[in-house]
Amino acid sequence: MNNQNRKKSILVAIKQTLKMHPVIIVFLALVVIFGSIYPGSFFSPINFKAILRQFVTLTLFALGPSFVVLTGRLDLSYVGIWMLGGTLVWLLKPILGMFSIIMIPVTGIATGLFIGVIQTKAKIPSFILTLSLLVTYTGVAALIAGGYPRAVDGYGFITAPLIRLIPSTFIWSIPVIIAAVFLMKCTRMCVYLNAIGSNEEGARLAGINVDKYKILAFMLSGVFTGIGAIILFQHLGGSAQVELKLNNIVWPLVAIVLGGTPLTGGSGGPQRTLLGAITFTIFYRGLYLSPLHPTMITLLVGIVLIVAIIISARGLKGVTVT
Amino acid sequence: MNDKLLEVKEVYKTFDRVVHALNGVSIEAHENEIVGVVGENGAGKSTLMKILVGVYSPDKGEMYHKGRRVPFPRNPKEAAKRGISIVYQENGVIPWLKVFQFLFLGHEDKYIKFFKLQTDIMRKLAKEILEELHVACKVDAFMHELPLSTQKMVEIARAILGVRLESEDGDMTPIIILDEPTSPLTDDECKELFRDLLKMKKNASFIFISHIIPEVMEFTDRVHVLRDGNLVAQYDFSKEKMTEEDLFRAIVGRKSSEYISRAEGKKVAGEEVVLSAKNLTKSGHFYDVSFDLHKGTCMGFFGPAGSGKSKIIRTIAGLLSYDEGELKARDQGLKADELPHVRLAKGIGYFSGETGKELFLNWSIAKNISIINMQKILGKFFPVIHFNAERKMAENIVQKLEIKAQSVGTDCYSLSGGNKQKVSVGKWLERNPDILLLDDPTIGIDVGAREDIYEVLLEMKKKGISMILVSDEPKEYSILCDKIMFVMDGRIQKVLGPEEFRKVMST
Amino acid sequence: MMREKSINRPNLSLEWLRSNTTTVMPIIFVIAVVAIFQVINPSFLKYHGIITLIYAMSYFLIAACGLTFVIMTGSFDFSVPNMLKLSALICVLYIEKIGLLVIPLALAVCVAFGFINGLLLAKFKVPSFLATLGISIVLDGIAWYLSKGHLQIMQDETFRSLTTTFIAGFPSILYWGIGIWIICTFLALATAFGRRTYAVGGNLEGAGLSDINVARHRIYVFMLSGFLSGLAGVLYMSQMGGGSVNIGADMAIPLFASVVAGGTALTGGVGGPHRTLLGVIIITWISAGMSMLAIGNDVQMLTFGLIAIGMSIATIDRKRIKIVK
Repeated sequence: MNNQNRKKSILVAIKQTLKMHPVIIVFLALVVIFGSIYPGSFFSPINFKAILRQFVTLTLFALGPSFVVLTGRLDLSYVGIWMLGGTLVWLLKPILGMFSIIMIPVTGIATGLFIGVIQTKAKIPSFILTLSLLVTYTGVAALIAGGYPRAVDGYGFITAPLIRLIPSTFIWSIPVIIAAVFLMKCTRMCVYLNAIGSNEEGARLAGINVDKYKILAFMLSGVFTGIGAIILFQHLGGSAQVELKLNNIVWPLVAIVLGGTPLTGGSGGPQRTLLGAITFTIFYRGLYLSPLHPTMITLLVGIVLIVAIIISARGLKGVTVT
Repeated sequence: MNDKLLEVKEVYKTFDRVVHALNGVSIEAHENEIVGVVGENGAGKSTLMKILVGVYSPDKGEMYHKGRRVPFPRNPKEAAKRGISIVYQENGVIPWLKVFQFLFLGHEDKYIKFFKLQTDIMRKLAKEILEELHVACKVDAFMHELPLSTQKMVEIARAILGVRLESEDGDMTPIIILDEPTSPLTDDECKELFRDLLKMKKNASFIFISHIIPEVMEFTDRVHVLRDGNLVAQYDFSKEKMTEEDLFRAIVGRKSSEYISRAEGKKVAGEEVVLSAKNLTKSGHFYDVSFDLHKGTCMGFFGPAGSGKSKIIRTIAGLLSYDEGELKARDQGLKADELPHVRLAKGIGYFSGETGKELFLNWSIAKNISIINMQKILGKFFPVIHFNAERKMAENIVQKLEIKAQSVGTDCYSLSGGNKQKVSVGKWLERNPDILLLDDPTIGIDVGAREDIYEVLLEMKKKGISMILVSDEPKEYSILCDKIMFVMDGRIQKVLGPEEFRKVMST
Repeated sequence: MMREKSINRPNLSLEWLRSNTTTVMPIIFVIAVVAIFQVINPSFLKYHGIITLIYAMSYFLIAACGLTFVIMTGSFDFSVPNMLKLSALICVLYIEKIGLLVIPLALAVCVAFGFINGLLLAKFKVPSFLATLGISIVLDGIAWYLSKGHLQIMQDETFRSLTTTFIAGFPSILYWGIGIWIICTFLALATAFGRRTYAVGGNLEGAGLSDINVARHRIYVFMLSGFLSGLAGVLYMSQMGGGSVNIGADMAIPLFASVVAGGTALTGGVGGPHRTLLGVIIITWISAGMSMLAIGNDVQMLTFGLIAIGMSIATIDRKRIKIVK
């Protein structure tokens, strides 16, 4: 009797999870599809490693902004933090030595604070604010670095191989991921962020200091991006980048949307972004194995983004959209 | 006779030295009762409640708790310590929070250990309080999954829980203020809500704010009536027998001399029917509305708030869709989900007293008038605006309606309320639609400007424009309408002529 | 009593200046910019310098006008530079096969994508910046696919003469730019279409109640933006004589900055192409001046980013926004 009940409740639990996170079905489907078309290359160690590497890049950029999207806003500054932070590391290495890596999280926190305050006090839409900031940061970074990427030595230990087949940066990123999910599931702060995204007026009426938590969301985003960017710094070549690549901006967004966090906020969060990131990575690497030209793949990514938004926007009845 | 739990005396509150929201209002709430506070929009109900929960502080007044004098709370947390908490009319619910998260929203600080929320304890306590208050739902369900009446019940549970958590006196009877709790609910949901509220009476006292008369009559033990910031009446239902119309008159109360009809009592029979409705129904809002509107007459939908009259007029305008029934303008059918601009093309204009919605405030008077009269100022071959024609059209209206402004190029921002309204009316005067729907046309403007607007509307009626009026000012129905439909609970109860209406209102 | 004057004639008092800052500021800005650069390098305003400026400004102005209409309705169009790129590439790739018919082809393609943008917004309720972001990626993909990433050179003389014929001492692209700008201004200020655009941006609810089919109008506005972007692309290709998928790479932020710098607010309902002219002048002249001072591209981007943020803050109508996302 007990066994049957237990089986039943497990089935119910699985069904519920699938309903809440339809992206899992997409993920499984993609694995099956690509696995059957290219069994040799898809399941190879090289591909496995590549998948993990791309997953790391995507996740570490997308985790921070997930907190902001919870409140219904966008934070596009992540690439900027990585670039400007990296440039500052190169700049200050002679003075601060190994500790100069701290410049990246510092940039992250400062950026988050700045964006949060301006967003709440001057009421500028977050999209245009963070985008303009991103462009500004690119300019500043290029200015400091004199126009081209600068290599920084001494952080190679981050990418030094530890376990066979698994990139070390993946291992380093695990505590970051755990921290993000812990914050999301177990703290009051994230309940409040959720509330603000779901019904900002209601949250205010319930006595929540909405402005304070909005700023906190942006700072949280900056912190996670900052710490993530430390890992990414070495992962992406150990040098300060100064060129803006559109893909870097768009892909984390796709991961967030695909994962199931609606852009209007109110539900989801970092754990969903993880699902979105892995699904997108499988999608991309699968297509990579095919004879399609990389730019065609980018085109497909654009279409996927739009389709994902349309699907998630179906719950927006009666909301005025501009 | 229940003990006095909470009492406030002689509360005064003025905003900006000009708006006298409350003039010496006193109310009291007893243990284990539901006491109503009723009044029209602007009577002062929500100001008074905000003072009780600490959002505003009064200019003058005294508060007594269980007979002892206490200071007014300075913020919601202090009010909760005193046992007072409020459930707001709208926006109180956070759809994507789970029930237990919502219940504890704002009070989590008591359940944090090592930065982690003790969700298992919270879940357990949530289950307990929901059982105690007979609310049937799972603690892990999302708020938006619950039916609306259950959501309200959870909001009430949250208010009670909040009081229990914050108060120092473990024995505190919560006083829960319910601000228009039934506005988002359907009839059935209301019945459920009240059934559960009655069960909760032994755990708490409720102050029930409403302007829906049937509910107040059925579910409150006593009621205070506010009008224009004053307490005008107090009734105890266990002692006095009242009808709904008695209460209604107490709320609205006007002298009979103010009801002289100026509607010219046009002969209705034989005139063309410009708008007809058969069994128009919108579930949860109005049912079986049927009428014929004759050309050059004005028909009013009159009733207390929540009766459905606003929804009816908005449905005719195209702002809401209807579920069943038939609506025809002359011979053209009006489909259920047409947008307002389509209805306008078919001859039905919608005029709202809210100038923020009606007008483009940063535009000039001329532009506001011309926007719905474009075809009169455009060139023959290209849709180019002839500025001269636009200006002349606006000047014409400004002169006719005596709108006080520097010129037709003045921005509407800077006009006074009454003049803004005149611009709104003016643009419709120019448009000359077959049918004009008036939704609270004179809200918020002074008496002088109102008279002017009535003059214009009556003139438009003479020209053959048919009208439908919905308003919170009974006087307007007398002045403008040839026929008045009395709406209650979403249905048309009676059809009155202007004379009968006057008799009913002025006893 | 009504005065004889029909339209408020401005009184140049201090009060008027203060209440009309968003109109006055750009003008002061332009004068300041020109003055500064002229002082630094006296040949700034000489003939050669002016010609360079004209080449930089004209196609940019047309694209900015397209973006202006969209922002006037309260939306964003992120795909303007990409439509410009695709249009330019279509011209150069197919001119040998179909001659000057490439022009209507390019325009038609851009209008079609504009239609899709509008549809995504009006029917599918996708926020405009995301819809146009996605479409911009799609446009890029198509551009890559068609051109295979190679640099294309425009050989056709007739096509090139569209913009490079000198009339009265100035290249014809100047007249194109000014002409189209005049038409756009006229469209915005003196036609029913323009009124409706201001209405939709100024008071969405009121517009719906005022005889305007809001959904259809928004689609039209995006189609117009597509048309103007496409036109800018055609003129770009005619003027430059060649290009690759790198066309318009750094255009998005300066484009946006010039629209807001001119005084068209993000909240919609105010501004217009006449204002954008000022913004475009400011941005292109600052850019030219900075290049003259050998200031790198990155600092220029920085500046435009700051201008974009700054002017957005200054022009946003805070009275109308309750909750900003």
